[in-house]
Amino acid sequence: MARLAMPAKRCGLVWPLLLVMIFASAALAQTLTFPALTGRVVDDAGILDAATRAILTEKLAALEAKTTDQLVVATVKSLQGTSVEDYGNRLFRAWRLGQAGKNNGVLLLVAPNERKVRIEVGYGLEGTLPDAVGKLIIENGILPRFRANDFSGGITRGVDDVIQVLTSEADAADWKQRAAQRPEHNAPPNAFVIFLALVVVMLIITKLLNYALPRAARRAGLNWWVAPGASGWSSGSSGSSWSSSDSGGFSGGGGDSGGGGASGSW
Amino acid sequence: MVRSAIAAVSRLRLPVALFLALLVSGCGVNNIPSYEEQAKAKWSEVQNQYQRRADLIPNLVETVRGYARQEREVLEAVTNARARATAIQVTPEVVNDPEAFKRFQEAQAQLSTALGRLLAVSERYPDLKSNQNFLALQAQLEGTENRIAVARRDYIEAVRAYNTELRTFPGVIWASTLYRNQKPMETFTVAEDVRRPPTVKF
Repeated sequence: MARLAMPAKRCGLVWPLLLVMIFASAALAQTLTFPALTGRVVDDAGILDAATRAILTEKLAALEAKTTDQLVVATVKSLQGTSVEDYGNRLFRAWRLGQAGKNNGVLLLVAPNERKVRIEVGYGLEGTLPDAVGKLIIENGILPRFRANDFSGGITRGVDDVIQVLTSEADAADWKQRAAQRPEHNAPPNAFVIFLALVVVMLIITKLLNYALPRAARRAGLNWWVAPGASGWSSGSSGSSWSSSDSGGFSGGGGDSGGGGASGSW
Repeated sequence: MVRSAIAAVSRLRLPVALFLALLVSGCGVNNIPSYEEQAKAKWSEVQNQYQRRADLIPNLVETVRGYARQEREVLEAVTNARARATAIQVTPEVVNDPEAFKRFQEAQAQLSTALGRLLAVSERYPDLKSNQNFLALQAQLEGTENRIAVARRDYIEAVRAYNTELRTFPGVIWASTLYRNQKPMETFTVAEDVRRPPTVKF
């Protein structure tokens, strides 16, 4: 959504359009609310004890340090009326898991009240962690423990299994290749091109004006409008990039998912 | 000296402001083509995922046939629905042609229904349900249905942005001058969108 609105953001006079889009997207998103991405384990449903959370967080951080894959565990109180697949995909996108361009995020989503679990896989890892493998992890590793009400055990086992798949040596080369092959789709280059063109045009105009104007006016600082104008535009062109290396905190790297993965219920 | 400079600046302010306004409004000029390209890219993803589903089906049908030969009717329904869905030529113009788009959508919906019935029927065969090949195919099919849902959602969103740009300021200016041949794109109907993918139980 934000990406679609991107080219419009540069223009002062397209606020009506932008507002239309914001309202429209708000109407769409309004139906679902997501917990904040407070860490690698977001236990919104409160089914994990502190010790398990700490161990999991450590494992997940180690995985990202090793492979840059972002695996995040989320438990939610409610799926808010939608399917676990739909919620999982939207949550994944809201959190932007995985590195930008690599799209190597994985979300393990548990909805204890709906008795649903899902492993949502980013574009870049669909080859390493195919749907059938995700299904096996859910059916064999997670669900038997969930059925015995052992949420900590089930989630830990699921995380271990996913990490094992992601870090196995043979697959590592494979995912690197796939991640590299997967082009960063719908990146917004247009906005930047427009911005550059504007700068160039403004520079030309400045030159022309400078030649046309009397010296006195020029010396008195007629260029006043160019410098602030240029800096104003350039600050507008940032903000689309995300970083995952914030000091201390954890955030999504800008990855995307197209609905890959598997789900199950118990 | 200073006074003349101020006068020069104020003389210039109006043309400069006008020029800036032109520049700024001009930057909407690329929106229509770029939104259209985005929508087209999303459309090809939709097609991709439908194609992927169609590719999985023969294998699935063969596996089920091995265990449930007597379900001839259901198996044939799937095979026929797949043949009909893949027979439809999906040219890029489909997105601008309401009739063709409806045909495409309906053929895919029929295939979804037939597939759902096949999966429901296979519940009755314990041997089939424990077949590894069948399990893998089921998981893949489930995943593909879900990808179709996501791809459709993204396409609907991209088309909405494109169609909105065609009809709202300042896009409407460019739509009526530079891009007079640009037509609004067709999108999936809501009723089909909320249709749940066939659920698969193990």
